[in-house]
Amino acid sequence: MSALDHSAAATATKAATPARRRRRRQRWLPYLLSLPALLVTVWIVIPFFTAIYYSMLRYRLSLPQLKGFVGLDNYLNFLTDGRFWYTVQVSLLYTVLTVVIELVLGLGIAILLQRSTRFNNLAAMLLLLPLMVAPALAALMWKLMTNPNFGVLSYLVGLAGLTDFRWASDPSTALFTVILVDVWVYTPFIMVLLLAGLRSLPKQPFEAAALDGVPKTFVFFRITLPMLMPYILTASLFRMLESIQQFDIVYAMTQGGPGNTLTVFQVESYLQFFQFTNVGRSAALLMVLWAITYFLSNVFVKNWLRLRERAQGVAAE
Amino acid sequence: MQHMSTGERLLRGVLITLALIFFLFPIFWILLMSFQTNADILRIPPSLFFTPTLDNYVALITGELKTASGVLKLAFMQNLFNSFILSTASVALSLVLAVPAAYAFARYKFRFSEDIAFTLLSFKFAPPLLVLLPLTIYFQQIGLANTYIGLIWVYQLITLPLILWIVRGYFEDISPDIEHAYRIAGHSWAKMFFRISIPLARPGIAAAALLSFIFAWNNFVFALVLASADKQPVTVGALAFVTASGIQYGQIAAAVVISIAPTLALALFAQRYLVEGLSLGAVKG
Amino acid sequence: MTTLELQNVTKRYGKETVLHGLDLAVADGETVAIFGPSGAGKTVLLRLIAGMAEPEEGEILMDGEDLIDVAPEDRSVGMAFQNFALFPHMSAFDNIAAPLDARRAKREAIADGVHAIARLLKIDHVLGHAPRALSNGQKQRTALARALVGAPKILLLDDPLRNVDAKLRFEMRLELPRLLEGFGSTVLYVTQDYREAMALGDRIAVLMDGRFIQVGTPEEIYLTPATVAVAELFGDPVINLFDARVEPSGGGSVAVVGSARLALSPGYANLYGTTVTLGIRPENVAPAGAGTAGAIAARVAALLPLNDRLVRLLVTDEGAEFYTSRDFGGETAGEGARVNVTAASQDVILFDKASRRRIAPEGEAAVIPAAPVGREHRAGRVSA
Repeated sequence: MSALDHSAAATATKAATPARRRRRRQRWLPYLLSLPALLVTVWIVIPFFTAIYYSMLRYRLSLPQLKGFVGLDNYLNFLTDGRFWYTVQVSLLYTVLTVVIELVLGLGIAILLQRSTRFNNLAAMLLLLPLMVAPALAALMWKLMTNPNFGVLSYLVGLAGLTDFRWASDPSTALFTVILVDVWVYTPFIMVLLLAGLRSLPKQPFEAAALDGVPKTFVFFRITLPMLMPYILTASLFRMLESIQQFDIVYAMTQGGPGNTLTVFQVESYLQFFQFTNVGRSAALLMVLWAITYFLSNVFVKNWLRLRERAQGVAAE
Repeated sequence: MQHMSTGERLLRGVLITLALIFFLFPIFWILLMSFQTNADILRIPPSLFFTPTLDNYVALITGELKTASGVLKLAFMQNLFNSFILSTASVALSLVLAVPAAYAFARYKFRFSEDIAFTLLSFKFAPPLLVLLPLTIYFQQIGLANTYIGLIWVYQLITLPLILWIVRGYFEDISPDIEHAYRIAGHSWAKMFFRISIPLARPGIAAAALLSFIFAWNNFVFALVLASADKQPVTVGALAFVTASGIQYGQIAAAVVISIAPTLALALFAQRYLVEGLSLGAVKG
Repeated sequence: MTTLELQNVTKRYGKETVLHGLDLAVADGETVAIFGPSGAGKTVLLRLIAGMAEPEEGEILMDGEDLIDVAPEDRSVGMAFQNFALFPHMSAFDNIAAPLDARRAKREAIADGVHAIARLLKIDHVLGHAPRALSNGQKQRTALARALVGAPKILLLDDPLRNVDAKLRFEMRLELPRLLEGFGSTVLYVTQDYREAMALGDRIAVLMDGRFIQVGTPEEIYLTPATVAVAELFGDPVINLFDARVEPSGGGSVAVVGSARLALSPGYANLYGTTVTLGIRPENVAPAGAGTAGAIAARVAALLPLNDRLVRLLVTDEGAEFYTSRDFGGETAGEGARVNVTAASQDVILFDKASRRRIAPEGEAAVIPAAPVGREHRAGRVSA
């Protein structure tokens, strides 16, 4: 057997070339596979940095001769600017109200549909449809229904005695109206996530509680709700992220109006850019929004990852 | 939960019915409107009983609206066409790019792999206008303004992360041994990828494609900022249509119906995967 | 002619080293059983040989050629996975055909090859089925057929009988050696079952904690286990272990266990006065006549049926428990009965108490280190 000579020879070569050869392709493959996707999307950082730069300029498209670097002036001006604080206020109000209402409604409907019966599953499927409607088109649909001349909803509230209810065209009810549309579109999102969460909960605690005759309210607040918490957290963070950035519904419904009633962050930036051609201010506004969403998305991703890991685990079983 | 009193059952039934009415009524009502003449629409009180007409749809499809004051041109079919082009091409491109990347992130732990995956994901959460506003200026300069290619490129920000993260989960579910077995049997990596990995992840790929198509179709702000009338999808076009057509409410309703029909149909198709896709794989449906 | 050689093969995952410098030479046509408890690194070793992972150090040579730069598909390796790893979207036929398909064989040639191996493994009637429609036994045979059909130079079998029922495992244990013989492949057979290792392996490599503790023929491993751990892993019921002192007695030496004195083979004179660990396999604990000198007096504490045998748990007057699987002649030694037992000197194995390694008697031919058992040897063995 020449194995001995062989191993001696091999040891000798190894000593001579300590660096190990590797199959080259193997090592580059992952980069090769992921690079195209990255290349097509990373250019996004260019406009992003441009936006940072713009936010430090005095830059009005209508007055190009005034263009100049002003450092943090755009941001500092916000501190004493009522219009900016109004944007913050209306955006937060919009976010808090939509997320809270959608959470309560979504959770309620999910609990109603918790048992997997044929009727419940059909209802869940139908309730999902508004989520598939483009938010801009949803706004248009509600606009048609709330038209003061022929809108069916205007007619219905008129029957209830509110003859001069002007929905989105009245500053006092505009916020209510766009929130209504948001609730219509996005409650199904929370509902379907929480329904999946509810149905994936282990059965034993509930069976034990039922046997022991524990009151249903106690079961809900002390067992169901805590176990559902990760789903609730992920769903509401996700919604918060989208809600604070809401543009489609508000813009399609009122273009930020009536007056300046609904100048939420992105709508206000859009108006600042295209209507007032104030690029610097628009960019600074968006940077403020970006900071908020960056913070929220970090919290969200942590929760989401935990949930995702668990979902993979469940699937593997 | 097992034992429900009659009262409780009744209450549940009532509440579910109320929810169904609230969430389905707008779709139902707009559908009705789309078959009504303007006279029917403007009648007070509104009525469920009317003689249905297809005039609104005919006007949209022929692109010509005959009114007392003359013929009005409608560009809605162009919008519909644009929506199809933009959504289909964006999803196709994203599939080609994101499926291999999803495989890399699922199978290999390489330098920066998680960082790259999360960077791609973060595009989904950033305020779109932050990127779009500077982009209008750049697109003017490099000649991509108001082109399909430019729009499809930007649409990758919606479709690509979605496909990447959904499909990644499906690749992770495939046992590596199955792939190894195919390699050992004498097949190259590429053959294994196309004959084993892709077919086994097919349900996930299909679901991700359908969902990202829905998201691309429903997008509004990208095209609002970057496209002029001839490249605008239905979401933007329908809005412009409202101002252009004045009081032609029947046509608006018909346009809305045509615009939301594809996504609603797809949603019913992809129903099984919707939950998983909407939560980016965090919740199994 | 295919030989396989491992030289200093080391595998790490992060900071953890799972394989520590493994050396092994497998001769052409030889079957080596890689035996060890779960987590020992058996599967990792097969993965390295198949090319699904790379060793951080060391070489794997096939016919003298280093495999490091050879892609898995070019290694001419067949592998049967413990979890079968069938392609779920392909029929059993297409599963088995995969290796032939890779060589761009003609359609008829593929069909012939698949049907031949399927007939041999008695699965020709389920070739059209999808994997999920197959029973566990059929899955296992399909996986085996897929590994064999391409007549690979090296066959890697990763505990192929682990996930099948006891009856099938028994049948396959009888069937497999003949089958492997017919193919003439060089085989590495991973198992956690010592009987399987002994039945199938020309040699056995005992892998524990990422190291080969002992490599040798089944007889060598069983009769001269390198360590207490190896002795414990081979044999059921487990080997009896006692603390014993070695003393001279007359012309030879004895091991003193409590009040009993067991005669030892010659060659242990150097151990006089030291305490060692003494091992006797249950089947070597034999009944002794009432007057046998130095016999162990014990009480039958329990009768345990094991397969076709009856195992007795014995307790000495000092309270030490041990097993015997020898026949005591019917009911004469029921529960509570008092018996005298002893063991022949050649059946007593001594281990160092501290290192737990076997102490070879002086003059014993040095254990031949891992001599490969070539095709010629095996042919002789089988015909004998």
